[in-house]
Amino acid sequence: MRVTTICIVLLIYVLAFSQNKEILYDFNDIPQTLSLNPGALVEFDKHFGIPLLSKLHFNFGSSGVSAYDIFRDDSIDINTKIGNAITALSNQDYFTINQQLEIINGGWRKDENTYFSYGIYEEADVILYVPKDLATLVWEGNANYISTPFSLGDINLKAELLSIFHFGVNKNLSKKLTIGARAKIYSSIANVNSTNNSGTFTTRPSRTGDNFYEHTFQSLDGVLQTSGVASLLGDDNSNIKEDIKTLRRRVFLGGNLGLGVDLGFTYQLEDQHILTGSIIDFGAIFHSKDVESYRLSGSYTTEGLDLVFPQLLNADGTTPYWSNLEDEFDDSIKIDTLTATYTTWRSTKLSTSYRYNFGKGNRQECDCLAGNKPYLNAIGLQLFTVFRPKGPQVAATAFYYRRLFDFMNLKATYTVDDFSARNIGLGASFHMGAFNIYITGNNLFELQNISKSQSVSLQFGMNLIFDSND
Amino acid sequence: MKSLKTLYRFLIFLCVMLLTSCVKDVDFDQSENILPTPTFESNLIFSSLEATNFINDTTQQEVVVLTDTTRLEFINSDFFVDQLTKTNFTFQFTNSLDRSFNIDFVFVNDNNEQRYLAQVEVLEGQPESPTIIQSNFLIEEPDLTLFEEASKLIYRITLPVTTNPLETSNLGVLKLESKATFYFEL
Repeated sequence: MRVTTICIVLLIYVLAFSQNKEILYDFNDIPQTLSLNPGALVEFDKHFGIPLLSKLHFNFGSSGVSAYDIFRDDSIDINTKIGNAITALSNQDYFTINQQLEIINGGWRKDENTYFSYGIYEEADVILYVPKDLATLVWEGNANYISTPFSLGDINLKAELLSIFHFGVNKNLSKKLTIGARAKIYSSIANVNSTNNSGTFTTRPSRTGDNFYEHTFQSLDGVLQTSGVASLLGDDNSNIKEDIKTLRRRVFLGGNLGLGVDLGFTYQLEDQHILTGSIIDFGAIFHSKDVESYRLSGSYTTEGLDLVFPQLLNADGTTPYWSNLEDEFDDSIKIDTLTATYTTWRSTKLSTSYRYNFGKGNRQECDCLAGNKPYLNAIGLQLFTVFRPKGPQVAATAFYYRRLFDFMNLKATYTVDDFSARNIGLGASFHMGAFNIYITGNNLFELQNISKSQSVSLQFGMNLIFDSND
Repeated sequence: MKSLKTLYRFLIFLCVMLLTSCVKDVDFDQSENILPTPTFESNLIFSSLEATNFINDTTQQEVVVLTDTTRLEFINSDFFVDQLTKTNFTFQFTNSLDRSFNIDFVFVNDNNEQRYLAQVEVLEGQPESPTIIQSNFLIEEPDLTLFEEASKLIYRITLPVTTNPLETSNLGVLKLESKATFYFEL
């Protein structure tokens, strides 16, 4: 029970800067950096990720509230704390979860200047904006909010589970410039989204004077789109095996398909000054199979039941005031089930970095590309942006990279984002012969009490990396 | 070998970090006490009756009793029965008729058996100076359970015996506004 509670609590309340992998970005010793910038410098000849273990990425975030805010062990009633949190949050606050698991990842060098990479990974991505008005209505009711409209527009969420098949090319155009591109096929396993809603519900003093109030549903217009969900829910879950079979088929291109592209570059401004940039997941998924969507629309105002005391009564001796009200409401406010196809855009990510390499080691003679091999240290700045339903979310990172030994490289980051202004991250990559293991995590300050943290991000993986120069 | 040793050291460091990382000063058992307690305000019935409403078409005499009935199907709904902790009904009369009334709001079940009764006495008013009477009825346990069996509301107006009955020509109206405040525990 306790474990379940904690899991639910973590899912709901704890949080992260979704999608930002600030430590892994521009960490060129790790092949997975190619998934963040297909134009990253590739300093090896071949790599192969240990299947299912080459990259596990997990992060979650909450821009407005932490579990600690709610579950702090103090004498304040938890309902008061939840009420305060709802008051303090705005409809721009959000909860996010992003998780990725690489199934296959590999790459090989075609020639001196060309590196190919490929792979399959699974991704779950959820963003839920705080539906502040709805939460207030459920938590407090309308009694203290006479004349205050509750907006349906606060409902804004996007959740997707998909597998991604990708193939990328990385090319050194010159010693100064490396570019890369990756083509992606998305296979959507399940999708739920509702991002474009409007309309209000208001209780205000009656303007006709007939009764105390008028209750108004004004121009409701809301859509909840789902794909891949109806068939799983529709069979009463009688046959879990069938459901698993269905899911497995969707992982391997049997779902709703989409296309996307990643682009990136690395440019050496001067000897030690490096500029990089990338755009990831510029693409869309076309939902046509197993689509079930719901549309809510209409306007309705009521002041209650107007009893008219007719002298001529109907057969039951009463006027059907109640069913008349229900009929009027049903005629005015419609909920339609749609099966029309729809398109969702992936949450596109933009990254840029500036990096200054310094402190030459033993390999001073190396006639390298815009690479950093001869240098033991680097400092720099990174900027990350992800495009979300209500606009872009931005994070800025300062980093220090250190090649500590030949077999151990470290990167420390300091990130400022919606969740925290003091997010310290650390990543390490170990290389023993061809075997590589890496682990990165952020918000280390908060590890001492993770409940205070509004975001957590972890990546872990193992690869085999081959380099003929070693 | 040096590399292995360093790796081990790092992994041990990491394990220590993860093991000592924890959730402090929080009590997740509090989640059992989470209880939203919303309060909703809702209109109920309203009406506006003139003198002619109280005159029998056939006899042209003042009636003794006037009633109208509506179903209120939410009262005995599962949601109300399970989540409603108390409710307050407010009935406000504005009477500009020169006539007093005895009002009954009878909440009955489907078999027309009374489950709650609210009574209001409305004194006579004048077109220029109406009488305003507001009555509140707070329904809590033990009455609430019985009340929640109701599905209909009968609005019954009784005209007490008088030497000065209403006539068609009387000016003024008997106006009713009503609302309910529902207190829920979800």
